[in-house]
Amino acid sequence: MTGIEAISAHNGWSIAIVGISIVFSGLVLLSLTISQLHKALDIWERRGAYWERFRRRGPETTETAPERECIYLPPNVKESARQCRLLVEHLGQPFPLPKLLEFSDRCGLDHPHSTINELLLARVIIPDGEGFYLWNDNVEFTS
Amino acid sequence: MGNLSDLILQFIGNTGYYMLDYRYLTMLIVGVVFIYLGIAKRYEPLLLVPIGFGILMGNIPVFKGLGLAIYEDNSVLHYLYMGVTAGVYPPLIFLGIGAMTDFSTMLARPLLMLLGAAAQMGIFLTFLGALALGFAPNEAGAIGIIGGADGPTAIFLTAKLAPYLIGPIAVAAYSYMALVPVIQPPIMRLLTSRKERLIRMEEPREVSKQEKIIFPVIGFLLCCLLAPAALPLLGMLFFGNLLKECVVAERLAVAARTSVIDTVTILLGVTVGASTQADVFLTPQSVGIFVLGALSFSIATASGLLFAKLINLFLKTKINPLLGAAGVSAVPDSARVVQHVGQEEDPSNFLLMHAMAPNVSGVIGSAIGAGVLWSFIVT
Amino acid sequence: MPTDISTLESLEIFEELSSDDLAEISALLHAVRVGEGEVLTRRGDTAHTFYIVLSGNYMIYFKGGKAFTLHNRGDMIGVATILTPFRYRGTTVALTDGEALAMAGDKFLELIQSNASLGDKLLQKLTEVIHQRSSYLEEATEANAH
Repeated sequence: MTGIEAISAHNGWSIAIVGISIVFSGLVLLSLTISQLHKALDIWERRGAYWERFRRRGPETTETAPERECIYLPPNVKESARQCRLLVEHLGQPFPLPKLLEFSDRCGLDHPHSTINELLLARVIIPDGEGFYLWNDNVEFTS
Repeated sequence: MGNLSDLILQFIGNTGYYMLDYRYLTMLIVGVVFIYLGIAKRYEPLLLVPIGFGILMGNIPVFKGLGLAIYEDNSVLHYLYMGVTAGVYPPLIFLGIGAMTDFSTMLARPLLMLLGAAAQMGIFLTFLGALALGFAPNEAGAIGIIGGADGPTAIFLTAKLAPYLIGPIAVAAYSYMALVPVIQPPIMRLLTSRKERLIRMEEPREVSKQEKIIFPVIGFLLCCLLAPAALPLLGMLFFGNLLKECVVAERLAVAARTSVIDTVTILLGVTVGASTQADVFLTPQSVGIFVLGALSFSIATASGLLFAKLINLFLKTKINPLLGAAGVSAVPDSARVVQHVGQEEDPSNFLLMHAMAPNVSGVIGSAIGAGVLWSFIVT
Repeated sequence: MPTDISTLESLEIFEELSSDDLAEISALLHAVRVGEGEVLTRRGDTAHTFYIVLSGNYMIYFKGGKAFTLHNRGDMIGVATILTPFRYRGTTVALTDGEALAMAGDKFLELIQSNASLGDKLLQKLTEVIHQRSSYLEEATEANAH
């Protein structure tokens, strides 16, 4: 049996149509999920601020949160800064700066040297006076 | 003297020279050509050299019963070939592929994943073509997967559906993958206008490390809950990627993308090549498989291109339709072909990075397609 | 090629030097371009070159992980060229692209030893730097005694 008859006899049309639909559905679903993923992660990172806003009732009280410094970082450095923060958590504080550089390089961070320099100049990474370094938790990134 | 001459005649009768006929000779020449293409022309050398040498090994005529040939139960080659027939090697290769693939371009521009999906139409249209030519459904499914342009996926599905066709299907799949720079450009020029080829893509956004870590878990869950039959391939692909991105298991990721994938590629290449014995390979069926294979690549390329043009009708910021050709999951060759064709029109138009997005999503799409075909045809 | 004297005049280490002294020094200094990630000095290696930063940012780190960074024009790298055992105490890596003035260590030492007044002025500046950095060094007391 050959030709269209063979295709129909073996249910070929249904298999092809359903198969293509499943492949498409799978990748559409994945692409929709991925497109929202970075937004969901952003909301998760700012959950502290949202929770604070939710808890406060009425005008500002005298007991305010410690003043946070807003630091401007270019978007690519901001992303690298986030990754550095994760590495700093892994290293513990105070941390040796050359170790942060080594880990950043190993993790495939883009331009680890200049990124760390940006963070030093922006006082996101600050010396502890004893040759080691600390992450300044009082800064907030804007871009 | 009589015994001596008998022994000598017996010995001569057992040599490969004596048993050689035109079919084995043809296959030996094919093996040499593959090795030549791999070494001298550098067409996919990591695949063509092992396959080429495997063809030589599989086509030395041997005395049956001594456990030498690949199809004899107690031969070394047969034991090594079990990794192919049992579907073990392809998932291990996918583990290595996952450990070396950067999905960030795809994560930055998820829309381009749909181009990878569109290119998988090549699988199902070739499946219909194979049925129309008189192949049985299991054979048609195995032939159709050539259109996925993914060697391990093709071998995996063929081992499940039609193991006796592994030789010709694997050779066809890998041959056409090596010929992607020859097959795709004419189709790309035919189906796109110069104005379309000149479209520049926007810079993709920066993708965070967290996204890259979460993606393999989410991708695995979404794809395998939808198509569980894709579990062996996609499970290992996403696992390998997670090992790479999580950093804490860097040793395992390095092992996966170096020693594991290299070892399995050697064993898979040699045994698949050896399975192309003349009496199995040189049949009218193989000719049909090769013709359909060429057709499947062409259809897959055309589908991706046309789909890209279709979605451009709905987009304010157009995408370069050449990227549709990169949905053919011959990673990274089809992405490089897109870059090359794009640069013929505008040398400063760098499309490679953008083309990697549909390219890697094509790998996922072809694995889902294989799982779907397997579940429909076997059940 | 000798460095321009006007460049040297702007550097703190040379601020008290006369134009004759600057002319003598400029013949020994040459500008080098440094790329991000480049290593200028390696701890334990023979200290063959002394550097003065013109631009760029640098990190110097020591055994045990202590480190400090240099961001200013005129900062010095490779002071060990004039201190026994003439081996670099720390590893210097460039954090960004930049430019520095380089002088061969043996020439630098010869200059200081051959010209008493010039050597005296340079050593005063260098001693301040050595003192600031002594806390990062294992052999802190040894450096101070020197």
